[in-house]
Amino acid sequence: MEDIIRIEHLHKSYGEVKAVQDISFRVRKGELFAFLGLNGAGKSTTISIMCGQLRKDGGMVEINGKNLDGNQEEIKRDLGVVFQNSVLDKALSVYDNLETRAALYGITGKAFKTRLAELTELFDLKDILKRPIGKLSGGQSRRVDVARALLHQPKILILDEPTTGLDPQTRKTVWGILDDLRKREELTVFLTTHYMEEAADADYVVILDNGKISAEGTPLQLKNEYAGDFITIYGDEEKVKALGKDYETVSAGVYRIAVTDTAEATALILQNPEAFTDYEIVKGKMDDVFLAATGKKLTGGEV
Amino acid sequence: MKQILSLTKRNVKLFFRDKGMLISSLITPVILLFLYAVFLFDIYRDTFTSAIPAGIPYDKDIIDGLVGGLLLSSLLAVSTITVSFCANLYMVQDKVTKARNDLTITPVKPYKIALGYYFGTFCNGMIISLVALTLGCVYLAFTGWYLSFLDILALLGDVILLVLLGTSLSSLICYPLTTQGQLSAVGTIISAGYGFLCGAYMPLAQYGEGLRNVLMCLPGTYGTSLLRNHALRGVYAEMESQNFPAEALDAMKTVSDCHIEFFGHRVEVWQMYLVLAGAVVVLTGGYILIHYIAGKCRKKQKKTK
Repeated sequence: MEDIIRIEHLHKSYGEVKAVQDISFRVRKGELFAFLGLNGAGKSTTISIMCGQLRKDGGMVEINGKNLDGNQEEIKRDLGVVFQNSVLDKALSVYDNLETRAALYGITGKAFKTRLAELTELFDLKDILKRPIGKLSGGQSRRVDVARALLHQPKILILDEPTTGLDPQTRKTVWGILDDLRKREELTVFLTTHYMEEAADADYVVILDNGKISAEGTPLQLKNEYAGDFITIYGDEEKVKALGKDYETVSAGVYRIAVTDTAEATALILQNPEAFTDYEIVKGKMDDVFLAATGKKLTGGEV
Repeated sequence: MKQILSLTKRNVKLFFRDKGMLISSLITPVILLFLYAVFLFDIYRDTFTSAIPAGIPYDKDIIDGLVGGLLLSSLLAVSTITVSFCANLYMVQDKVTKARNDLTITPVKPYKIALGYYFGTFCNGMIISLVALTLGCVYLAFTGWYLSFLDILALLGDVILLVLLGTSLSSLICYPLTTQGQLSAVGTIISAGYGFLCGAYMPLAQYGEGLRNVLMCLPGTYGTSLLRNHALRGVYAEMESQNFPAEALDAMKTVSDCHIEFFGHRVEVWQMYLVLAGAVVVLTGGYILIHYIAGKCRKKQKKTK
């Protein structure tokens, strides 16, 4: 798969504060790429540079084969952006907002009507087209934001914490549509999120901390490298104690032992079959990866 | 062109959908008209009546028409500028709400966004000013109507020029603003001060010579005088036809700011047009220049990387 985004040695400072320090990464065409990090880690700064909203201090940004320096206008046609908070005009209707934004990409008249019909169908906007953005629910408003970002059929969709504050059903709907678009149109999705389950579904994850990359890889690679495995044992605590390993009581009769990998888990089970009458082995979660990679806890609501 | 048109349409729609902004813009001329009619009409009428030398015959309705014309011109002189400022505040509002980011992530060139604000402000300013002109004309119909069709066309031309002046001035002033606080500070200063600066609240003739000369350096003053000339032309023509003494008429034209002087030299109407149009060109040029310089700086910074 070819690289659609290449970032090499990117630097950006705000006075004394080094927001982005020499980061390099690549995003492959059609993949779901996740950027993880606490507030101030440098995620939004990187996105803003990619979108031409901020100037970089150094480094190279290449998007869809075009260098950001000197090709900003063309690159902007390849990018669709869903901002963390809706930035559409609240006093105007969904239709007016989409019509204005489409015109800025040169989509007017019949071309706009055709695209609007597609997006209306895709995001179920028919009943809210004439309603002002300010009167929509959080979920409806988010659907419009994503539809607006896809108006010009971009190659890359940048989602800056897109599902924050959404109910699980809307979150599922949004991701369903995006997954479908990725499959059908090879849309690349560049995501920043604090929802671990969203990052866990990504094809590739980059963890940022203080403007630097702390870890990167597929969720499986990261889990293997940073989180290890866990054995959950259901049964007698005395038998768990007898294993001589540190354990955590999850609830009454449920205990969790951390092991470095599956091989260690297998060895432990084979050596102590009497303790493992009812058990399961699970991979570590992205929360564990984040904690191990940065030494910081990434909790849902705080990021 | 379609992009500029679309942005202009957006800015006009935003202005008219924002009920608070629309009402405050519409209410400005209504309040001004009300205040003028209630508090100033009698004072102005008495001033003019007492200024007419004894023994000169005149129709009392003409004085009412004169005062009405004076108030109409003051109303338009102030509202054309303040409404333009009010309408242009969207330029700042977009920065505050970050809606601007949604425009700048598109491939549209920054100068087109700037022109969208400019034309949007002009359209909004014109619509509200035309409402003010209509209200003023209705008021004149009650107090004393001496306007010809050509006078109304001339007043319309003055309004266009003044809205253009307000648009270019507010575009320049609002360009660097980024917060709600700065926004309200500018709005307050303009609403409170502009009427005095342009000679709308107090005729220039009542100021001392030094201050008058300072105010004559401001383009808004010429706009007020243009409006006075066109709003009062019919009244003065009627006085002339009733054999009102030329000397007294000339004095009244001076008192009502139809005649203004720049450091001792009488400014003709065509010169007023020239000053006003020149100011619009210079201020609009300044607005374009700011964007041009900002664009150059952006490119330069990129090249140095």
